[in-house]
Amino acid sequence: MTPMAARILRPTVLVVLGLIWLAPIYLLLVNASKDPARYAADQVWRPVSDFALFDNMRQAWEIGGLGDAVTSTLLYSVIAPALAVLIGAALGFGIVALRLKHGFFWFVLVFGGTVFPLQMILMPLFVGYVEAGIYDSRLGMVAIYTAVTVPFAALVMRNFLGGIAHQVFEAAVMDGATTWRIFWRIYLPMSTSALVAVFILQATFVWNDLLLGLALSQSDEVRPLMTAAAALQDTYGGLQLTAVLAGGLLVSLPTVVLFLSTQRIFSRGLNLGQF
Amino acid sequence: MSGLAVAAPERTTTPGPVRRRGSYRWSARGFGLPALLVVAVLLYLPFLWTTWISFTEYNGLGSPSWVGLDNYRAMFDDPNFLTSLRNTLIWVVGSITVPVGLGLLIATLSYGMRFGSWLRLPFLIPYAISGVAVGVVWRFVLQNGGGLSQALDALGLPGADSRWLSDAPLNTIVMIGAAAWQQSGVNALLFVIGLQSIPREPIEAARLDGASGWRMFRHMHWPMLRPLTTVVVGLSLVASLKTFDIVWVMTKGGPGRNAETLAVTMYEETFVNSAYGAGSAVAVFLSVVTFLAAITYLRRQLSPERTV
Repeated sequence: MTPMAARILRPTVLVVLGLIWLAPIYLLLVNASKDPARYAADQVWRPVSDFALFDNMRQAWEIGGLGDAVTSTLLYSVIAPALAVLIGAALGFGIVALRLKHGFFWFVLVFGGTVFPLQMILMPLFVGYVEAGIYDSRLGMVAIYTAVTVPFAALVMRNFLGGIAHQVFEAAVMDGATTWRIFWRIYLPMSTSALVAVFILQATFVWNDLLLGLALSQSDEVRPLMTAAAALQDTYGGLQLTAVLAGGLLVSLPTVVLFLSTQRIFSRGLNLGQF
Repeated sequence: MSGLAVAAPERTTTPGPVRRRGSYRWSARGFGLPALLVVAVLLYLPFLWTTWISFTEYNGLGSPSWVGLDNYRAMFDDPNFLTSLRNTLIWVVGSITVPVGLGLLIATLSYGMRFGSWLRLPFLIPYAISGVAVGVVWRFVLQNGGGLSQALDALGLPGADSRWLSDAPLNTIVMIGAAAWQQSGVNALLFVIGLQSIPREPIEAARLDGASGWRMFRHMHWPMLRPLTTVVVGLSLVASLKTFDIVWVMTKGGPGRNAETLAVTMYEETFVNSAYGAGSAVAVFLSVVTFLAAITYLRRQLSPERTV
């Protein structure tokens, strides 16, 4: 192949592929914006004549119960990852700064918690939650989201805190600081960048969870957003297809915004992608 | 502080000047306890319980009764399970080839090109939306006579009357396509970062020697991208074994359970059929397979005598 031909071929292939990639997005946007009365199942590629996106979103929000689910999921995806990074950082601090005995073993044990698929824990959690009276409760959801996000938080925080010289700890001890104060006032502030990155990743994971929500909740008040969004499709009759699509678009907006605004952080620290 | 994967520097091995190591024993335990407790109670305890229940007959009421390996025997006689196993295999093969190959293609085509990062943007948009939303979109596109069929029809291509999400194994294959639609962009991004880290000198030398296009890729870029490819394929392998969300949202496992994966079968047996013992057996089988696949893959990739 001559260089000249390559210079034309490469962008052409990319543009054609890119257009194919954008086609489903186009179909989503166009059909989520159609007035349900005018929507024709056999003409989905036709552009919108009248813009009803917000009406459709309101339908999904009200009839599909997305409103309650957004509140719940906001709670879950803020509280659980926040607890997880703190718990993970505490373990890292115990191992790295306080030289916890058999620290590596305990670390491997905690990290091992992510190795097996979630399917291994669903049924006992369901039965145990029912027994304990926390099935279909926000407390129960926060607890399990925290548990599943702790191992990864422990992995990153242990690595990160390991990069802080032990002299920092020794100097603080000389000044008479307690271990708790050293953790809270020195080590945590020094690791803000790692804490934030782990928090964002884990918040996205919780936001996007479907399976734990399916297994451990049922009411509109407790059910997380993705579980509610998946159920939109089953309420046909109550909900128009245009509203289902608008709902799918709506639940994706926060992660799209988060992704675009944090892309810079992650392209710098993309080593995280290895885990 | 740039990245997150900060390597631990050499530690000072001399004991601290103030107190000796032993004096922090209790506070060290205090800091480690919350993590261990939460993981032990909510992850390991259920894990052990599932393993035990897989050897019993149990429907959630009364107490489990020991049946030995019966659940496992029944599982391998169950046509639904065998379909699910076959689908999971298709998912694994599809997921370690299609999105990885497309990612590599997009990365090498766009790397070093003007506006390359703009041309990559369309592939990244699907990655930012959730698996559930991907399922909602593609279920719409793949309806009988829906977006894809209408497009094929308009272009005069065959296949417009396919029942994309009803017929097996077509439904599994198109769902792998939907998953690849979501995953390829981020793989491309990873490969671009890999390409950026390749030293310039040998590439320039090869260029001066007249290498370009495919030969350049085959003999210069590809060998240097291999370690990264190993990681990407390994991650895709493990993730594909656990495929659940997209199948659940698009087909609920398909008409007549013909699109189930092992992860869906476990959910179906446990939460729909209330066969906790059978569901647990599927969960244990899935875990063992995932574990073995990960170990085998790592050993194969890391063994020094392996050629190419």
